[in-house]
Amino acid sequence: MSTRRTFVKGVALAGAGLLGSGTLARAQGLLSAAPALDPGDPEVPNEEVARILKDLFGDRPIRRGQLSLDMPAVAEDGRIVPVIIESPLPMKPDNYVKAVHLIVDHNPDPHLAAYHLTPAIGSVAIQTRIKMKRTTWVRAILETSTGEVWANYAHVIVSLNGCG
Amino acid sequence: MAIGDARIRIPDRISRGDLITVNAIILHPMDTGFFRTAEGQPIPAYFIKDVVISYGDEQVARFEWTSGVSKDPIVSFSLLADKEAPLAMVWSDTKGGVYRQSINIAFAAA
Repeated sequence: MSTRRTFVKGVALAGAGLLGSGTLARAQGLLSAAPALDPGDPEVPNEEVARILKDLFGDRPIRRGQLSLDMPAVAEDGRIVPVIIESPLPMKPDNYVKAVHLIVDHNPDPHLAAYHLTPAIGSVAIQTRIKMKRTTWVRAILETSTGEVWANYAHVIVSLNGCG
Repeated sequence: MAIGDARIRIPDRISRGDLITVNAIILHPMDTGFFRTAEGQPIPAYFIKDVVISYGDEQVARFEWTSGVSKDPIVSFSLLADKEAPLAMVWSDTKGGVYRQSINIAFAAA
């Protein structure tokens, strides 16, 4: 994760460098002036995503782990971005993953999909294809029947807006 | 091929107790409401919002979708094949369209 974050920052700075040193200085000023909005940190949702998370999970902690979210680091076509969500958590009648939520922070409708599951599914292994408007974090968050909430994140660079 | 045409794929050979992967695709424009035609007319939102999956008499999963799911949505998920019964999927869209498809899960002879 740290290498991906470093890479993203590197790309941002390289881009700013191409525009001239004045722009670079301004970009650095912006970065240092607004540390809370660091796009490299998926744990800081924007206002709308924060509201969605609050509606779904209340004040329960959203811990990182217990599921994987596989997406391309760079999506050339935002209309078709593959997603694979898997979890090793059990699907037993007394303890199972009852829902998986897919949230794309900067999409017009961030709460893109909810997958409600039962133990009959046997395991969490969901694949689909989604649209993405622009470069952003994607969140896969699951909720167990016992009330635990687990998440993982993927940063996806989008070249072509897939949302219009 | 028309809107709502759907296919479900499962493995050719299944034994009782297998954890199988189910692949499903349905033809649907999944219009977001944000695009316009070449003539500049807005294309209204039109997408599948609900998918119900049943195995025999039991509802085993339900998916809530938005227009953020890609055109001609595909989804794959696992299923614990513990009985010989039909696997049925029902997709519902925002204009009242309801599309059904099913496939029979039967076990290969030992």
